[in-house]
Amino acid sequence: MGYYEIMLIISPEVETDGHQEVLNDLKTAITKEGGVVSTVLDWRKRRLAYEISKHKEGYYYLVYFSGHGTVIPEVEHYFRVTDAVIRYMIVSVEEKEFNAAAEKAAEAAAAAAAQAEKQEQAELEKADEATVIEESEEPEEVEEPEEPEEVEEPEEPKEPEEVEEPVAAEEPAETVEVDAAQEAEKKDE
Amino acid sequence: MRRDRGRKPKKKICSYCVDKIESVDYKQYEKLKRFVTERGKVLPRRISGNCARHQRQLTRAIKKARIMALLPFTSE
Repeated sequence: MGYYEIMLIISPEVETDGHQEVLNDLKTAITKEGGVVSTVLDWRKRRLAYEISKHKEGYYYLVYFSGHGTVIPEVEHYFRVTDAVIRYMIVSVEEKEFNAAAEKAAEAAAAAAAQAEKQEQAELEKADEATVIEESEEPEEVEEPEEPEEVEEPEEPKEPEEVEEPVAAEEPAETVEVDAAQEAEKKDE
Repeated sequence: MRRDRGRKPKKKICSYCVDKIESVDYKQYEKLKRFVTERGKVLPRRISGNCARHQRQLTRAIKKARIMALLPFTSE
């Protein structure tokens, strides 16, 4: 069992709807040999540093999967057969990095969900969501980027925490009440 | 200051060690850009100041990033 990361570039000629098709085909190629897809990260459209078969842009995707090494020839075969993928690279990663990517994806999904809800519901609701996400993030993801900051400015990180915590503690209680009231209103409408 | 004829050794600071980064990631190509010349060559260690371990990882990361068109092989 190993942990792998695939970075692939989908041709800009492929419609956005076609991306899911490519990812689904990739998934079947992986699962065929008993591999398990853990996370898919969308890196969006990026400028290529140089032209690849006359293309100047491409859609980047990161796919993380775990499985036997026998999965790799299967995946490579798929990439060679399809025209949609203009470049790919499969790299083995440490378990730590593998899990970090999964967390990042979960975070992004949570952020996207929060944004979708924000559009649907009132702003107060959004504030409530944000505090929930912050709490769940703190133990693992935030630690790494913060370390260098602590080295440079040991005073600053402490202050915002003191300021934030009481606010975070107070707000949810208020917003929940308001939310309940708002939801009731919406149902009436 | 540094014009002294004595050729003072420049202080070497490995930015990856300072940030306590275990392994150099080819996906963070914005950061890798700092370690290549305008033409896209890898900066030597005596200029970048990286430690041997991270310089080794860095060159491999840059090469991976080049394959994925995140960094140029060459640019004019």
